[in-house]
Amino acid sequence: MDKKKLVILAALLLFLVVLVIIYLNLGGTAKPKPTQFISASQSESESEEQIESLTIILFFPSEHDSLLHREAREIIPESSLALQAKRVISELLNGSQRGFLSPIPPETRLRELYITKEGVAYVDFSREIMDKHLSGSSAEMSAIYSIVNSLSYNIKPIKKVFILIDGGEKKTLGGHIDLTSPFQPIYDIVAK
Amino acid sequence: MSSDAGSIPAASKIVINDREKLYKLRRGIPKLALAFSLVFLFLNVFSAPQSQPVLRISAQDYDNYSRVTIQSSQPLSSSIEQNDTFVFVKIRANTPFRIQRESFRSRFIKSVGWSQGSGSYTLTIKTEHENFSLDSFKVQNPPRLIIDIHPNKGQDPPIAETNRSGTNPQTADPECIVIDPGHGGLEAGAKGKFGTLEKDLTLAIGMKLAEIVRQTRASNVVLTRDRDVDVSLEDRSAIANNNKATVFISVHVNGSYRKGAAGPETYFLSKDATDEESRRLAFMENNSKELENNIQAEDEDLIKMILWDMAQTAYLKQSSQLAEDIQSELNLLWGTRNRGIKQAPFKVLTGVACPAVLIEVAFLSNPQEERKLLTEEYQRKIAEAIYEGLAKFLRENSH
Repeated sequence: MDKKKLVILAALLLFLVVLVIIYLNLGGTAKPKPTQFISASQSESESEEQIESLTIILFFPSEHDSLLHREAREIIPESSLALQAKRVISELLNGSQRGFLSPIPPETRLRELYITKEGVAYVDFSREIMDKHLSGSSAEMSAIYSIVNSLSYNIKPIKKVFILIDGGEKKTLGGHIDLTSPFQPIYDIVAK
Repeated sequence: MSSDAGSIPAASKIVINDREKLYKLRRGIPKLALAFSLVFLFLNVFSAPQSQPVLRISAQDYDNYSRVTIQSSQPLSSSIEQNDTFVFVKIRANTPFRIQRESFRSRFIKSVGWSQGSGSYTLTIKTEHENFSLDSFKVQNPPRLIIDIHPNKGQDPPIAETNRSGTNPQTADPECIVIDPGHGGLEAGAKGKFGTLEKDLTLAIGMKLAEIVRQTRASNVVLTRDRDVDVSLEDRSAIANNNKATVFISVHVNGSYRKGAAGPETYFLSKDATDEESRRLAFMENNSKELENNIQAEDEDLIKMILWDMAQTAYLKQSSQLAEDIQSELNLLWGTRNRGIKQAPFKVLTGVACPAVLIEVAFLSNPQEERKLLTEEYQRKIAEAIYEGLAKFLRENSH
């Protein structure tokens, strides 16, 4: 008797699992992808275009006021958060395409970027960010918050940003803003 | 850049996997040591090969004692001996250490040296006076040996003597204004189109301000530098705290990528105080057991030091008032609209235990302002405007 019961139970379970799988599959195919009906040669080129580009927002200072300004940019999504974050920084390092100011010396390279489970991004820049940096509190603030805001805004899991230089912690970029603590983004210095 | 007190970047806990341990590290030892440990951690994260164990020696002054911290990547086995003005710390070592000494300036410690014996290292700490008492304890994660040197009564350091002018220490300390001319030495700060250096202007204006305060008030005036020398940011705030400053004023000249940027700005520290405080409390609760085990003597000192690190957060309200008083005078002088009171995490302000502001008197990146800044007349006018704001603040806060 017990054996029979067990068998029935097992069968029931199996049935349920199958049902769930079917249900999930139906859900997935409910909206057929357009590529499904295209011949093989076409679908290849199609699927390349199918990778939706992603809009990111970069923050740059402007000549006209002391605020940071948004600049949208299309990027191809990367496979991991860290790679995506690296991409955001490299776009920032490339400078504005709309005539905003570049707050980071163009010689600066991104050495490494690492995101902890707790949402702290450690961003390691080459030393040009310090050596070639225009000295002054305002210049330092715009560099730091263009980095911090751009990262936190686009990569949601990033809550705080820790800026490292040449693999290590530095006190300041040029004698002003404290780099020994992580930064949180400030959005009220962004133009509406 | 921000004028909003609400959303402020927090000076906060470093979070990697080992949260509490790292946090403890952060609170327990001076920031310099933190810097090094972070570098170390970072290297570990990116799997750099581990080399020879390192022994890091650093020293820092606190209110009435000096602390020597010996940090290692391995557990430390040590003995301490006190003799005359010397403290000998013998550290047993099976493998050779790489010794890293950090430069320091201290009122109670003359020098820290080391020598290598067979299977051990001896650190020699030379103190300023022979009459001192010693406290030492070990802290883990990473292993640290901490040695506190307390000078005994009647041996107040020279700085404190000039400050107290012989009064009963129980009565209120005399007013002491600490003026901090920004940058100096190799660190020139912002540069103008005509070659003007920020460090020269801050010194010129700082000296003029000191002169005015001396002539007008019966207060102590201390300059963090009175010539073209390097002074670390930590030393600047230490000078303020060692002198029991009433007010700390850091003088800077701004620089911006914007050619049109103009006008004075007065900053006070931004810190996510409540966030920070709650984290510290959580840390204290979580680690109270560990602290009991590791620290035999004077937990109070440790707690005091933890509080010391957040010194400026307790003065933010007064600091913002001081910023307002000074900024409105500078606005009158430059004919600027009343904007320019801002908050930012300035390194030099974090550890100052009194109302403290950092003034960007004008933009050196703006040629018109640079030209004005070069004239004695404008430097004096700026110093006078700062003094007017300071005087107003002191009137409002006199009890």
